Amino acid sequence: MANEQANIENSNVIRLPAELLYRQEIEALKKEDKGVVPPGWQMSPRAVLTYITGGKAGKLDITPKYIGNRRLVEMAIATLVTDRALLLIGEPGTAKSWLSENLAAAVSGNSGLVVQGTAGTSEEQVRYSWNYAMLLANGPTPEALVRSPIMRAMETGQVARFEEISRCASEVQDALISILSEKTVSVPELSNETSANKGFSIIATANTRDRGVNEMSAALKRRFNIIVLPAPSDLDTELSIVKKRVSEIAASYDLQASPPADEALLKVVTIFRELRSGMTLDRKEKLKSPGGVISTAEAISLLTNSMALSASFGSGEMTDADLAAGLQGAIVKDDDKDKLIWKEYLDNVMKKRGSEWRGLYQACKELSE
Amino acid sequence: MKTAEDVKVSVFGVRHLSPGGARHLLQELDQIQPTAVLIEGPSDATDLIGDLVHPSTVPPVALLAFTDEMPVRTALWPFAVYSPELQAMRWAAKHQVLCKLIDLPSGAALAMQDLRRQTEIAPSMEETQVDAESSSIYERIAELAGEHDYNTYWERNYEHNQNPGSYRDSILAFSAEMRELGEDRERTQQPQEYAYNHVREAYMQRQIVQTIEAGHDPAKIVVICGAYHAAALERPTQGAMTEDEYIAMPSRSSKLTLMPYSYYRLSSLSGYGAGNHAPHYFQLMWESMHAGKLEELPQVYLSTVARTLRESGTYRSTAEVIEAVRLAEGLASLHGGSAPTLLELRDAAQTLLGRGDLSVVAEALARIDIGTKIGSLAEGVSQTPLQDDLNRQLKRLKLTKYKTSVATDLSLDLRENRRVSSQEAADLDLNRSFLLHRLELLNIPFVRFRAGAADRAVWAEDWILQWTPEAEIVVVESTLLGETIEVACAYRLREKLDRCTSISEASLLIEIAVRCGMTAQMEDGRRVLQNLAADSRDVAQIASAAAKLANLIQYGDIRRIDTKPLIPLLEQLFYRACLYLSEASNCNDEAAYGIVAAMSELNQIAQAHDDTVEVSLWTRELSELSEKDDRNPKLSGFACALLLERGEMDAQQCAAEVSRRLSPGIPADLGAGWFEGLSMRNRYALLSRMSLWVQLSEYIDSLDDEQFKRALVFLRRAFSSFSAHEKTMIAETLGEIWGVDTEQAAEILTGELKEDEDKMLDELNDFDFGDF
Repeated sequence: MANEQANIENSNVIRLPAELLYRQEIEALKKEDKGVVPPGWQMSPRAVLTYITGGKAGKLDITPKYIGNRRLVEMAIATLVTDRALLLIGEPGTAKSWLSENLAAAVSGNSGLVVQGTAGTSEEQVRYSWNYAMLLANGPTPEALVRSPIMRAMETGQVARFEEISRCASEVQDALISILSEKTVSVPELSNETSANKGFSIIATANTRDRGVNEMSAALKRRFNIIVLPAPSDLDTELSIVKKRVSEIAASYDLQASPPADEALLKVVTIFRELRSGMTLDRKEKLKSPGGVISTAEAISLLTNSMALSASFGSGEMTDADLAAGLQGAIVKDDDKDKLIWKEYLDNVMKKRGSEWRGLYQACKELSE
Repeated sequence: MKTAEDVKVSVFGVRHLSPGGARHLLQELDQIQPTAVLIEGPSDATDLIGDLVHPSTVPPVALLAFTDEMPVRTALWPFAVYSPELQAMRWAAKHQVLCKLIDLPSGAALAMQDLRRQTEIAPSMEETQVDAESSSIYERIAELAGEHDYNTYWERNYEHNQNPGSYRDSILAFSAEMRELGEDRERTQQPQEYAYNHVREAYMQRQIVQTIEAGHDPAKIVVICGAYHAAALERPTQGAMTEDEYIAMPSRSSKLTLMPYSYYRLSSLSGYGAGNHAPHYFQLMWESMHAGKLEELPQVYLSTVARTLRESGTYRSTAEVIEAVRLAEGLASLHGGSAPTLLELRDAAQTLLGRGDLSVVAEALARIDIGTKIGSLAEGVSQTPLQDDLNRQLKRLKLTKYKTSVATDLSLDLRENRRVSSQEAADLDLNRSFLLHRLELLNIPFVRFRAGAADRAVWAEDWILQWTPEAEIVVVESTLLGETIEVACAYRLREKLDRCTSISEASLLIEIAVRCGMTAQMEDGRRVLQNLAADSRDVAQIASAAAKLANLIQYGDIRRIDTKPLIPLLEQLFYRACLYLSEASNCNDEAAYGIVAAMSELNQIAQAHDDTVEVSLWTRELSELSEKDDRNPKLSGFACALLLERGEMDAQQCAAEVSRRLSPGIPADLGAGWFEGLSMRNRYALLSRMSLWVQLSEYIDSLDDEQFKRALVFLRRAFSSFSAHEKTMIAETLGEIWGVDTEQAAEILTGELKEDEDKMLDELNDFDFGDF
């Protein structure tokens, strides 16, 4: 706990958790909140909705955290109100983790109770483990117990997060079943059990690209309300998401470059959308999609990359060459095939787009030769 | 007018097709106990109210008005069980009080529909703008209320409103405000719409005033109308239509009928409009309200979804239904609502029962939202003569049970059934076929002919029958063509024959007439075809028409149709086709395909009807074509093949002809083209004729390289239609001639192509056809 406190004070951390990044907004929402606050929550569901989708709290503008389908957010919040666990599924880069972090921050004021799912995650990390030195010295005592983030969330009545749940082995996933249905973790060694306080819930995220790796069991799936997060539905939504996140990231990284012009944003998002959907925006031409993921999140990191490039090695103004380098890196992942697809796109689509695209086309062409 | 200026009647504004409205309206009626119930709807349909409330009338049903002369205009008023109007009619019938429809009579409404349509055509640009603007008002309302769409806003604020007094007042206030917002713009931008509304209201006022004059206490009159008109009708004496105005109103002669309707049509906003998006859901809501258990609707809805899923093999537990209900209620409370709306129920179903995936629950949701219900009417209830005729015939032919919304297959055996006693039963399937073909001719979407069955046997027919409200509408519309199905068909055929300009079209119409069992029309068609054929020199068309006729003559007796009158025409057509064959054969390769088909058809006619057509002429024409060098070589070759097949040419003649055609010095396109024609028929005869292949081989040897390449193109095309087995046989034959080991040659020829061979073939594909 002390450690966490120290981190918070230190503004040099690369990335602040949502509850600190948007502390002002959360405070304002709490102050202006007129709705009924469910037990264990720090604000009413409506205020959470405002926090996620944007709006006003008193005089303060609340920035939208998740742009796109408002109904999905409503469904997510309503799920947490009914103390059900929430499972967010989507393609990589569809803001699953981002949404889960912000939901936890708004509901519990703490988005840090996270289990990061990997192939190496063990059941202990989901339930509890022991401080073995103390266990050997004193035998099983409450002091020697190392609680998992989920167990801590149960004790404090907060929202725990389970990232990339489908990357964990099935046995580990199944440890959640009893937690979710009984809402208790029993510790037979101490012959007691920890029951969840009101406000406890779990938000898990899973990746559709991982489907089939560790398919979730039907018993576990049944304990979640499942919400599928789609890729942004139209160009404008995606543009505004990219624009907002790029400027936020640039501010937090203190990049000494001017944010990308709207024109550059439009080009990047257009290219991404076209390659993702496999056809041009006017739906007249069919394209091949590259094998890798070309999500909104990729577009965001590409643009911040390009900004960093131009700040460190260029004039500080993002040029076509900076963008081209980023684009090539983001799109060409599986070397040979993607390279051909990218070249085809350059010559068949981009080249014919007219003078505004000329510069970017030339820069990309040079790189891809 | 005798009544005082400030006479006020009780007006209940509704949204058509609203369960909440119906519920509150019934309470209101119970409270006021009116002596007259006046309802927005065509006033000339008042007589049909009795049928609408008849105990055996099952909604959804619709009131259809149509003009009884061309051009047909129709107007539709659909009623579901939860329509406030229908419930009010039922209430009035139960309490035996006066019930009247008071809107413009259908004739006037249809006439004005025409007027509105005419003036609307010009400013279409503006109109779309207006549409966008007015729809955006509804969107804005929904947005301000924090709702996803207007339907959800409406459902939450009005349908779920259980407070009797506040419903009526709030809907009145709402529509008055909406009207104020939109009226000015309508006046300037859609003057015809504005005027139309004004005329309707004036007429309704006049009707109300007349009711008051007939002695009803204004306080005991309840007027039920769309919320939009509510404010205008409260004081009926101000601006009611005068007698002169009434007489001056435009009107078209029209008829009214009741027809069964379906939830599916009700939900699709296209076509006749006036629908709502989830009829079955609203029926569930109405039933819940009626039982006083509106709060149980989410449980009913979601457990029905789960049950439907289970029936189709997707198991979902009760626990999931419980969680879905909780989620839906949670969503509703996020919007400050008392109960979940359809949108929230759907979201909950997708999240829990579909496990996030809409496609899992989509079908179940469609079933429960829209439903498959189709209404029905008591027998004999206000039908058009054509509907009556159809029902009579369906009954006579035992087809009534096929009048359902489920597509059903029907296989017919047109032959006389000799195992039954009565003639009527023996001809049952034949008469059915006549009726179904007639319905198809009238474009009534009740029947669909399933193609392909004709290949099986000429006496078998497969049909798919599916009754839809659309079919009913088309039946009603067809009344304009005639009072019975037979008369309507005759009219439709006559119409088509008059417009018919080509031989093939005419022969098709004759075929239709025969299939419909309409001898008189067959005779008409024969005349038309004969006139057209007299001027035509198109051998391909004449031949295909002749083939159709030949077919009809051959199998006409199955349908017990006397096709003898067609025989002279067949003779005539055949004769013409023969005469013009030689001339038509002077054509390019592309046109030759059509002629080949025509020659095959003519040959078949010559074989099947050798007693009627002039076979000797056919043989003569074939020989001539076969011998001539200046016709398309392919056609000459084909003629030769036909002659061989008919036995009109012996082996010696054939050998002579082959050597003449394939002699050295003949250009490759002529020689090989001729061979292509020859090889199109009786292949086995060719394959077994060794001398032919020797000649072909010698001919090919005689060609120089450039000529060889040209010949290759034709030969390749000629052999492309041969089967693998036939190709092997040719290869073996040629191998024998060339002294190659048979098996070895076959192996090379049937094996995979090597790369360089592939390349050579590719080069051949680049062959320049420009000089052909």
